[in-house]
Amino acid sequence: MLRAAALIEKQGIPTASIISSGFVQQAGVVKKGLGIPLQVGVYPGAPMVDSEDVLRKKVQEELAPQVLRALTADPRAEEASESDPAPGEIVFTGTFDEIQEHFHQKLWSDGLPIVPPTRERVQAFLEFTDRDPDEVLRALPPEGREASITSIAVNGVMAGCRPEYMPLLVAAVEAMCDPRFRIEDAGSTPGWEPLVIVSGPIAAELAMNCGQSVMRVGRQANSSIGRFVRLYLRNVCGYRIPPGAGDKGSIAMSFNVALAENESYTHEIGWPTYAQDRGFQADENVVTVMSVVTISPPTYSAGDRAEDHVAQWADVMGQAFRYWCHTGFKRGVWHALIVAGPSIAQVIARDWSKDDVRRYLHAHMHVTAERATHYAKMTSTPTFDLKRLVSEGILPQQYAASDDPDRAVPMIIDPSMIDILVAGDPGRNQSRGYMSNHIQGPPTSRRVELPKQWKLMAGRRR
Amino acid sequence: MPMSDYPRESVLWPRSRCAAAGNPLAPRARDLNEKTICELWDVIFRGETIYPLVREYIRARYPRVKFVDYTHFGNFYGAREEDNIATRLPQHLKAHKADAAIVGIGA
Repeated sequence: MLRAAALIEKQGIPTASIISSGFVQQAGVVKKGLGIPLQVGVYPGAPMVDSEDVLRKKVQEELAPQVLRALTADPRAEEASESDPAPGEIVFTGTFDEIQEHFHQKLWSDGLPIVPPTRERVQAFLEFTDRDPDEVLRALPPEGREASITSIAVNGVMAGCRPEYMPLLVAAVEAMCDPRFRIEDAGSTPGWEPLVIVSGPIAAELAMNCGQSVMRVGRQANSSIGRFVRLYLRNVCGYRIPPGAGDKGSIAMSFNVALAENESYTHEIGWPTYAQDRGFQADENVVTVMSVVTISPPTYSAGDRAEDHVAQWADVMGQAFRYWCHTGFKRGVWHALIVAGPSIAQVIARDWSKDDVRRYLHAHMHVTAERATHYAKMTSTPTFDLKRLVSEGILPQQYAASDDPDRAVPMIIDPSMIDILVAGDPGRNQSRGYMSNHIQGPPTSRRVELPKQWKLMAGRRR
Repeated sequence: MPMSDYPRESVLWPRSRCAAAGNPLAPRARDLNEKTICELWDVIFRGETIYPLVREYIRARYPRVKFVDYTHFGNFYGAREEDNIATRLPQHLKAHKADAAIVGIGA
């Protein structure tokens, strides 16, 4: 919202932005990153829980006067902020314990011990990319800091990555730099967390886990790459929880370990891999990043027919997705990722293609219009109206097929918004569903660029 | 081993340069009479109640102010991945001859 205000101010039009008091600190971070002292009117408290009378009083006595002042009065001078060190500068010298303490004090760690980013360790990471260390991929919101190759290496060291993970780290940051990823919304109140998906032969070369406990902390590559993303969001984007600012996740989620597909098994059962579904070749190394806001329960399914399993997914994962799909309805998009257990995928693949699965889930995962509207009202949107969303071209016609509040509408807007990936314990019959946060963090992929000497260098590290 | 004998290491800054340039605010309008205020709303957090109240408050002090209410702009936050406020907003505001804008609601 403040980004829109900044854009308008640059056109010479004064603005007043409306925020509630809980967002004042985050607004300060965003304003600094935009480099413009935007003027705000503040609503005290949370408007969604105030009565009509209380809301009227707060607007009349506090918010509206501030909005008027923001539009008409010259702003007060903003306080100058502390100057930054230069990139690549030594900022501290001390013992391991002293470094940990310094990083905690400066809010540069995630609360866990970090590997001290010495120049030598960072250099070892930089050797695993042919990119210039000073190359800047983009200035990242909310703080407007430069996503440089060096900053990726420093945070990779801190997260406990190995130097040879560097090409994956660069690809992950590149994906998050894509404007369609909307990294500016990674600190929004639902508290979604990026999920890094690694495809191609590199996953096996780096000993990534794609089998039992695939999403558990414990395997170095999976764990440290996931941790890296959270550290990067914190240190470079500026998403810090209190006593910092910038991250407004109300309860929020912690980092996901990176996910790798069991591609050899996927080939064996005759399905395209996740990366192939996204338009890449089977032998290409690819990183995809998507937001995850909700995870289904462990979904067990039994039977020797495809429908036995996919019907169970529609039922159990549908229950997990039903509540939050209204947010996707407002924007016309959200994505589901189904991590299919290998034994289950094998049964389904005997009879159904992935597109058959997508069509089935689209046709069988429903929410009633009344529930979607109710959930939207509870969350943030008292004016939610499926018919209006259809008339605005955001949702397909079938969402306004009747006025019956009990009519069922598809939870997933289009079958193409369902992704399927095979991973997990081959010895059990469990799958799991992951839900993205509407237009924030859609699956975004980048090819992994390996350094020219990759084979030699990676071989030397093993 | 005493703490003072522990090996010491020098570490790099984990953040990076802030690219934000200092941009000035647009000049404020001292008198809102005869001016046009556009309302941009992301269709959340009770804007349907808040915007009319703010409108009423400003109009009580500047009776000849004009408002282009939020219904003219749709959800400025946008929909679907390809939507981009940066390309749409300037045209919209120009079309409505905006002198000022209220943008909300970031609760």
